[in-house]
Amino acid sequence: MSLATAIATGDLTQLPSRRDEDWRWTDLRGLIRAIPPASGLLEPTPGGPFAGLGGEEIVFGNGRSDGRAGALFTAEGGAPLRLRFCSDARGARHASTMVINAPGGERLTLLESYEGQGDYLADVELHIEIEAGAHVTRVVLVEEPAESILVSTAHVRLQPGASFHQVVLTSGGRRQRIETRVTQAQGGAEVRMDGVYILRDQRHADLTTVVTHGGRDGTTSQLTKGVVRDQARGVFQGRIVVEKGADGTEARMGHHALILSDKAEVDAKPELLIFADDVQCAHGNTIGALDEAAIFYARQRGMPEDVARAMLTEAFVGEVVDRIEHEGARDVARAWVSAQLGASE
Amino acid sequence: MAAVKETVAAVAELEKYQHGFVTDIAQDFAPKGLNADIVRFISAKKDEPEWMLAWRLEAFERWLALEEPDWAKVNYPKIDYQDSYYYAAPSQKAGPMSLDEVDPDILETYKKLGIPLREQEVLAGVQGAPRYAVDAVFDSVSVVTTFKKELAAVGVIFCPISEAIREHPELVKKYLGSVVPVSDNYFACLNSAVFSDGSFVYIPPGVRCPMELSTYFRINAKDSGQFERTLIIADKGSYCSYLEGCTAPMRDENQLHAAVVELVILEDAEIKYSTVQNWYPGDPETGKGGIYNFVTKRADCREDRAKVSWTQVETGSAITWKYPSCILRGEGSSGEFYSIAVTNGHQQADTGTKMIHLGANTKSRIISKGISAGKSSNTYRGLVSAHPKAVGSRNFTQCDSLLIGKDCAAHTVPYIEARNGLSVFEHEATTTRLSDDQLFYCQQRGLDTESAVALLVNGFVRDVLQTLPMEFAVEAQKLVAISLEGSVG
Repeated sequence: MSLATAIATGDLTQLPSRRDEDWRWTDLRGLIRAIPPASGLLEPTPGGPFAGLGGEEIVFGNGRSDGRAGALFTAEGGAPLRLRFCSDARGARHASTMVINAPGGERLTLLESYEGQGDYLADVELHIEIEAGAHVTRVVLVEEPAESILVSTAHVRLQPGASFHQVVLTSGGRRQRIETRVTQAQGGAEVRMDGVYILRDQRHADLTTVVTHGGRDGTTSQLTKGVVRDQARGVFQGRIVVEKGADGTEARMGHHALILSDKAEVDAKPELLIFADDVQCAHGNTIGALDEAAIFYARQRGMPEDVARAMLTEAFVGEVVDRIEHEGARDVARAWVSAQLGASE
Repeated sequence: MAAVKETVAAVAELEKYQHGFVTDIAQDFAPKGLNADIVRFISAKKDEPEWMLAWRLEAFERWLALEEPDWAKVNYPKIDYQDSYYYAAPSQKAGPMSLDEVDPDILETYKKLGIPLREQEVLAGVQGAPRYAVDAVFDSVSVVTTFKKELAAVGVIFCPISEAIREHPELVKKYLGSVVPVSDNYFACLNSAVFSDGSFVYIPPGVRCPMELSTYFRINAKDSGQFERTLIIADKGSYCSYLEGCTAPMRDENQLHAAVVELVILEDAEIKYSTVQNWYPGDPETGKGGIYNFVTKRADCREDRAKVSWTQVETGSAITWKYPSCILRGEGSSGEFYSIAVTNGHQQADTGTKMIHLGANTKSRIISKGISAGKSSNTYRGLVSAHPKAVGSRNFTQCDSLLIGKDCAAHTVPYIEARNGLSVFEHEATTTRLSDDQLFYCQQRGLDTESAVALLVNGFVRDVLQTLPMEFAVEAQKLVAISLEGSVG
């Protein structure tokens, strides 16, 4: 059951609904009344948020890749890969799939962006294989139009000794799910998965992660922060599974959200499913408003209230942005956060 | 080190399930199976008015249309609802009895269980010792309720619910099903159709109940289920503390226990509800037998500044499916949930709470401690939600899991739904095994491994034990100690 299957078969009952436990806050069946026709061809213009950072570029225009059959990419030489999913369609749908391999010892920086206009239904599926000793950094920037419906699912598999660092930044859409499913089948790998959602108007974003530790001595560290205002809705679902025998696993998950209006909503489900005993697992979750004492302090120092609020909000989200290792991507992310928070003032 | 000694002694004493004996007495049964006639049979046995029968039959109709839930992290073979007795009661003459008329075998049973049914036995203790009134429910009926007269003197009604239906229909009609609606869920709906007894408590305005109230549930009959219903109403400005205990014989078949507890708390009133659940957990080696414990418990803080506190120590049952909840409707009302869930052998527990913040400035607090040992599985599942009107509401949740052994599992599944910007929700959870460093430290100080583990486990659950009334805290500590078995060495 998924959006991809529903698009492929035209069968609406394949759409996940709120009755499906993992989709309880991101109902697609109640929203999509019919599977729209396929999107037309699109020749994306060069650019994208990471254009200035060099490296190779692969572009998908309305779900079609730019000539790479099977859309398979193998990392070599350490240069960044800019992966762009561009959409421009009205009342149409498209889907795309991509496979990325990081051979042993390679370092790959994947700069992934979602850009678009119109009101479309898009499904993206990524498969990332990270071999022993390889390191992949994935920075995902989602700037979708308010009327788009997007489901992006990444399946990441790590071998022992591999590492994967990810940051997702999104401003949401009509309904949007950015899902990452990471498997350390033999353990021994290092995973860091962070996220930022900044939502306004009636936008929705769902950051879902599932990390499965199948073997010993794996680590996972997660930090997600969200800011919602107006009538927006943020969803965070994080699941860490430690299978039998995966002793020595260390997993930490944090989700913190600010609700800046009376009608906004945040739903969270940080889950731990543990089948091994020699583990250290923890999660923390906080949802609330800005600290009035901190605002008072700033005002007392002569700072106007709106400036104080903006500064505190930016600092709140900044903790995640600071964790991005790639300097250029970090600057892009920081500018995006400022723009989002400014735009929502 | 007194606590450690006590715990170690308790382990030795409680190595096996001690309440697994059967009382051999003459019992009346309804025919096996479940249909509208059985519902009528139970209602007739209870001498119920017509409106109650109609209520039950409606519930039965609705139950037929419902499906058994399957979302909990518990696995068990499909239950054949037609292969069970829905009514089993000791043969006795009709009507209320004095204690002298109760079957001596039953009295002996409660004596063995350590439950004082004779008021003078309770009073015979040390001067100043706390007293508590008991409603003893044996299979489908309440066999005796103590201290009724003394409680009635201050206006407190404490009686079996079957008696309340006859004697206080206006209260029962007003409140029964008002917190847990008939078709709330599959098991609550089944209970509404076939509930046989349970306790009813009404605390009038401004009254502080002069003693602890308690109900002791005992399943005795083979192939029977127990479906009790408890309704407690705390009127404006009143207070009561209620304790609940339960045990069952050791049998190879699974037995069903599907209870409903409804608490109604009005303005400035408070209810403290404590449970020590020690149903037979099944054979620790094979997992055979044990009670299926599917319980719906909910408190409705209906008016301003109402307060409820749930404390549960769950050590028994083959399967536990239980989420004591608080509906925080009144402004400034508050709910608390303290839980220790211990699973060992092949036990499976999926338990937690729901805090539904509907009113402004409502507060809730959840402290959950799960301990899994053996081949068991222990899940904390909880919901905290805040309505847009629940401005200024606040929740703090802490759930910690302790794993003892390689074959057990511990899960944490919290749901947080925040729908306004003026509330604060904090949640933290940890899962870990007993710390080697702490064990080493204790051993270095001369404690043997078993004592060290006992000390650490006691420390782990201390926050919750402290909220229990004194007598239960002692019993609970002993029960928790069982989890240590097999975890050392």
